[in-house]
Amino acid sequence: MSYREKIAWLSLIAVGVTYGPYFKLVARGPGAWEPLPHLHPLGLFALVSLVRMLILGAGYLYLRMGTRQERPLLDERDRAIEHRSISAAYYVLIAGMILVGCFMPFSSTGWTIVNAAIFSIVAAEVVHYGVVVASYRVQAS
Amino acid sequence: MMPGSISNRIRTLRFMNGEMSQAELGQRIGLTRQTIAAIEAGKYSPSLEAAFRIAQVFNLPLEEVFQWDAKATPLKAS
Repeated sequence: MSYREKIAWLSLIAVGVTYGPYFKLVARGPGAWEPLPHLHPLGLFALVSLVRMLILGAGYLYLRMGTRQERPLLDERDRAIEHRSISAAYYVLIAGMILVGCFMPFSSTGWTIVNAAIFSIVAAEVVHYGVVVASYRVQAS
Repeated sequence: MMPGSISNRIRTLRFMNGEMSQAELGQRIGLTRQTIAAIEAGKYSPSLEAAFRIAQVFNLPLEEVFQWDAKATPLKAS
């Protein structure tokens, strides 16, 4: 497995274990008992982002230590895969932003729109890293 | 699209050149070992520049390293 495929797996796992539970929690909506309903999702989002950064940081360090002798270089196949994955993610992000920016303001408010925007970004990231992993797997098998 | 795909003799040529490893070949032309493996297996079609570089390593013309197989189904992976 190449260094860049490992990075893509790491990023996918980090997204899954952080934003997965986050969206599961926010899907339930703010509790009626909360005095400041906006504080809860904001704090949760900050915590999730911090945990994700910690997972990515630890993962990068671990992978870099493992590849100290052979410095990973970006070659033409890596660039082609990156180009393909970014193109796919771009369309997901654009579709999400059109939904959030052009349609949701007429039907939703507040944190629903914010979370929909975050979901679009996360979905685009999942598509990006998913295409990277799938491309490396197809070409390796 | 016309049917066909690129085949190659890289594995044989590596063997004939002192059992050169995929990593060594990759290092000489600026590709990763995984990319050389994908090219050898026919999973990835290299750029024209990379193909020329590979041929140069073996001191052979391009057509002796890469061949166009008109009957084969085209690659989907690359």
